Amino acid sequence: MNANMLMIHYGELSTKGANRKAFISCLLHNVRTAIKSFGLEAKGDRDHIYVYLKEDNAADVINRLKEVSGIQRISVVMKCAATLEDIKPSVLALLNDEKGVKTFKLDVKRVDKMFPLDSYGIAVEVADYVLDNSCYSVDLHNPDAKVKITLRPEACYLSCHDELGLGGYPLGMIGKVTTLLSGGIDSPVAAFSLMRRGIRVEALHFASPPYTSMAVLDKLRDILTCLNDYQTDIKLQILPFTKIQEAIYEHVPEPYCITIMRRMMIRLAVAVAKKNHCLAIATGESIGQVASQTLESIGVIEAVAESFPVLRPLCVEDKLSIIEKSKKIGTYDISIRPYEDCCTIFKPKKPKTKPRLEDCLYYESKFDYETLLKECLEGIETLYFSEDKETRKE
Amino acid sequence: MVYFDSAASTKPRTEILDSFLKSNQECFANPSSAHALGREADRRLDAARKKILDAFRLPAQYQVAFLSGATEANNLAIKGVAFSYQNRGKKLLFSAVEHPSVLEPIRYLAEHFGFIPVPLAVDSLGRVSLDTLREAMDKDVILVSIMGANNETGAVNDLASLGAIVHEYPKAFFHSDLTQAIGKMDIPFSSLDLFSYSAHKIHGVKQSGALVYKSSMRLVPCLHGGGQERGLRSGTGSVALDESLALATSLAMSSAHQATAHVRALWQRLRDGLQEEPVLLNSTEEGSPYILNFSLRNHKASVIMEALSQKGFYVSTMSACSERTDQASATLLAMGLPKELAGNAIRVSFSEDNTLEEVDAFLSHLHQILKEVHPR
Repeated sequence: MNANMLMIHYGELSTKGANRKAFISCLLHNVRTAIKSFGLEAKGDRDHIYVYLKEDNAADVINRLKEVSGIQRISVVMKCAATLEDIKPSVLALLNDEKGVKTFKLDVKRVDKMFPLDSYGIAVEVADYVLDNSCYSVDLHNPDAKVKITLRPEACYLSCHDELGLGGYPLGMIGKVTTLLSGGIDSPVAAFSLMRRGIRVEALHFASPPYTSMAVLDKLRDILTCLNDYQTDIKLQILPFTKIQEAIYEHVPEPYCITIMRRMMIRLAVAVAKKNHCLAIATGESIGQVASQTLESIGVIEAVAESFPVLRPLCVEDKLSIIEKSKKIGTYDISIRPYEDCCTIFKPKKPKTKPRLEDCLYYESKFDYETLLKECLEGIETLYFSEDKETRKE
Repeated sequence: MVYFDSAASTKPRTEILDSFLKSNQECFANPSSAHALGREADRRLDAARKKILDAFRLPAQYQVAFLSGATEANNLAIKGVAFSYQNRGKKLLFSAVEHPSVLEPIRYLAEHFGFIPVPLAVDSLGRVSLDTLREAMDKDVILVSIMGANNETGAVNDLASLGAIVHEYPKAFFHSDLTQAIGKMDIPFSSLDLFSYSAHKIHGVKQSGALVYKSSMRLVPCLHGGGQERGLRSGTGSVALDESLALATSLAMSSAHQATAHVRALWQRLRDGLQEEPVLLNSTEEGSPYILNFSLRNHKASVIMEALSQKGFYVSTMSACSERTDQASATLLAMGLPKELAGNAIRVSFSEDNTLEEVDAFLSHLHQILKEVHPR
């Protein structure tokens, strides 16, 4: 490929006023981290980030950049001197690089107003050269390739190829959120949606051995390694939840078991989030999907968060669209491995779909859950996942 | 750690691993090479074959094909006989509780090549009765495949009497999958025309096994190529693997009586202890003492297995690991168990390395776990 540079477009960043600088420098940092393994450098200005290619590996670099949130589009760019002698053969070379091109159109932007020819004049000169030296023809309405020629004082930039980026905001700009991760299909997609929007994620898993297999940990490891593409380091905290499950099962009537279990989980998640300076908790819930996800259930469950923010990135997504996303980010095949997670054990035959807060409070008054929650928080195990290693801490 | 999963795989013996390493270092040449080193490798392969036949006390009318394990041996036996003798008849008989490596090749032959599969029902103990076989036999049968001991329950078939019935029909061959039987029970080898087994179930290494067959038989190979193993299985032979299989076989056969007596004591102690628990025994004293299968009446098998695993006791569960996949053991269903019990079984399987103390510890932990863990 003749391209020697990638131009990264910010997209939604342009709506940011005073924060713009901070956003750009955050994205620049993330881009530099992402392309570090290629040994490439990046430079940013008000409008774009430029990545200077060294080898013929534009496709690989673009694929990596497509995993970086905050990027709207990536243009493959060829830089040449701002003279007609240089621009003409460069445009032809660029067209020759594209596959299956028969017709073309030139789109000239003359930022350097001192250039002796106007935009139309430049287009005519370059098109003449291309037509004389190739079999391509011009089609202004439906061209196979549209070549953008941007003339700036320092150089001329040519591009005819754009790739869509991940969109969203640069990771780390929006703060940190504790997200509940079961190992099922939804929660990894919820985590990804947050990351894409620039939110750093810390994962939380409720483990109930022996009722849930410890094989679920292998599943979580694989899911987080997958998500490492979007957030290069992820913290996972595993909460020992067995005793609480057993107490609920013992003291709470079956239809209310799931509701009370979710209330305990939210209490624990809020405590963990506060301790880790996270600004909210997030779940993979989708309204109406199961009994604990009706609006009534969500209401009585969220009550225990006591106005600490609870985010539900998938709350109005269809299951099929969640599945589609999980396939796209690569977690689907991991999620469907048949292991029990904390939501499938002790499954009541007829769970309450419209639980009442008074009833919840009454059933919870029947056992000393505060002590159990405290014990659970003391038994947390923390793992760190980063692109190439997993480390364990207390 | 208490390892009660030897029917899944056994721990390799140190002397077998030593022999494997040493053979690899000394005898790495290709047995098909014509130079002295290659001829030496070929000679050692033949010696390993002879050692296996000697261990089974089988005459030279039998041949040993070195393969990657019992799955390949079962495939070769079934497809090899079916393709070779299809002009004699189309019926393939097999017990309904065979291992998938027997069931699947037969299903494949039926689906793609028009063979007629005839499953033989088992009794409540998991065995094929002589009458069942007698009724199913006719002149169109070319192969009967009945396992020596069942991998899930340990149920043992009377191979000598079954073989006699098969051989009343001169066109039919009698095959047995002896993976769970070699070194673990008396086997009437001469009643069999061909049989399969794996090294890693008798303390050998994985990816090694053999099909032993009468040399008068013509088998169509599954793998084609350089024509190794008398044309039955192409691919460069491994002296190290095959010598270690021969060693594992001869060790297993020579210690069989003593080992089985020891394991029978373990089995009985476990059986007696389990009488106290809310379980249903799916194995009987007539079966192999190496396997004891029981269904949990109140608890979920996958949960109990996980709890045992956390305490360092390793057993297998025959249940589906999740309610999302609704599977019950086909073997237990075939024995007439209701679905909820057939899908909720635990298999304990021994090797001669296990001890009575381990059984006692297992029983006391299991008792505690069944008391503590919530019923399903």
